Amino acid sequence: MIRILLADDHTLVRRGVRLILEQEPDLSVVAEAADGAEAVERVRDTEVDLVVLDIAMPRMTGLQAAAEIAQRRNPPKILMLSMHDNEQYFFGALKAGASGYVLKSVADEDLVGACRAAMRGETFLYPGAESTLVRDYLDRMRRGERVPTSVLTAREDQVIKLIAEGRSSREIAKDLHIALKTVEGHRANILGKLGMRDRVELTRYAIRAGLIEP
Amino acid sequence: MRLPGHLPLFWTICLINGVVLVVAALLLLLSPARVSADAVPSEFVVIGAGLVVMILTNALLIRWALAPLHRLIARLEGIEHLEPTELPEEGSGPVLGIARSVNGLLARLAEERRTGDARALAAQEAERHRIAQELHDEVGQSLTVVLLGLKQVESQSPPALVPELAAVRESARAGLDDVRRVARRLRPGVLEDLGLASALAALATEFADHSSASVRRSFAPGLPALSPEAEVVVYRVAQEALTNAARHADARSVELSLQRLGAHVVLEVRDDGRGFTGLTEGSGLMGMRERAALVRAELSVISQPRHGTTVRLKVPVDTTTEASA
Repeated sequence: MIRILLADDHTLVRRGVRLILEQEPDLSVVAEAADGAEAVERVRDTEVDLVVLDIAMPRMTGLQAAAEIAQRRNPPKILMLSMHDNEQYFFGALKAGASGYVLKSVADEDLVGACRAAMRGETFLYPGAESTLVRDYLDRMRRGERVPTSVLTAREDQVIKLIAEGRSSREIAKDLHIALKTVEGHRANILGKLGMRDRVELTRYAIRAGLIEP
Repeated sequence: MRLPGHLPLFWTICLINGVVLVVAALLLLLSPARVSADAVPSEFVVIGAGLVVMILTNALLIRWALAPLHRLIARLEGIEHLEPTELPEEGSGPVLGIARSVNGLLARLAEERRTGDARALAAQEAERHRIAQELHDEVGQSLTVVLLGLKQVESQSPPALVPELAAVRESARAGLDDVRRVARRLRPGVLEDLGLASALAALATEFADHSSASVRRSFAPGLPALSPEAEVVVYRVAQEALTNAARHADARSVELSLQRLGAHVVLEVRDDGRGFTGLTEGSGLMGMRERAALVRAELSVISQPRHGTTVRLKVPVDTTTEASA
């Protein structure tokens, strides 16, 4: 059973997220908070495995709360929930110590998967950030800059170009006449080969590529 | 030739008239010319010629005395609307006085315009901020609730209803995307939340998303903090310059940089696009200039056909805020 702390300043959003999460038998929301400071307190007095934080909250933003929670000994996993489709927030979240970033506009589809990925110790990349990273990688390779060298298969090469164009897994599957699961597999492999597998690797890559300040 | 000293215009003209009259009187007294009681035709001719010479001399001298005034008028008409230059404070008497007071007036007008513009732009930014915030906090959150609620309902509804519900859910998602896009255009939340460098980086990414040109960014580390107003100006100028590059320049690559140069933070947006001749003060450039003037920054736009365009904004670093930062 995964114990979750949910922080969002909007009661109704919190309720909506809770309902989505609790449809899953292995997820259970054990605490709620209405702002960042309260979230930090709840983590102190409640045992949780995963914290889902809204980015924009009064008193203390989700990013500040994440940074504080990540400082603890044995910190719970952290997922950010956000309105902002902007890779700077995503990198900000990674820097603060979060292991995933879910857009509210796709929370109905992605949130549960992101929770499980976080618990497995993987990073949940939101699609916009993924295409930004991949496009930047391809640009740098074209310019002849030194990038983590890797050998992609012909299929992965096709997929990485489609990701750079911002296509979703579903669209890629349709274009290439392959199963959705296969596309997901290719995506994971590609990111692994490019050295963008987890939080640490991703942050390092983004700093080196000048996408964010160190 | 200059008028002696700082003689008022009235006295200058009196003096000219006086001198002409005195010379005429002397000529009449000292020359052999005489006017008899019964004037003869030859005397009429001499007097007439003398009068013509007097009037002409007088006219020429007064014209010479008034010439600086005409030059002043010509300069006043030449003052540019956008960047008023000061009048040269030269000449004497009234001309110098007028030049000085016009310069004073220009300075006051510029200052008033600057504060007026500043107030208008600040009001506009504040309003945008408020609307963006409300879109995020109110509309955005409500749509999120709808989206999540629909997902929940869908999971418990009879299979016949599922496709319909899924379609409605997609509409809610599209609405949420729209709200986010509009709010973002109104006010870059990233500027407040993550700072100028992140906001510019996000602009660069956004540009790359919507254009075939590639973007290179270089932001010097450890830049001095600018005031929030100056940051907004830098952001908006960069945004406008990138928009121009994307829309008109047909550029292949764009460089976006922010660095420190002495007591200034310098933003530079350089593209290798089409460029243009003769700065057309289109609304975009005018807007950039107005914004730059607000924070006493210097904006220069250098563009040559086929050699791209470079937009440069030099923002003075406020040393008081730097010390406290």
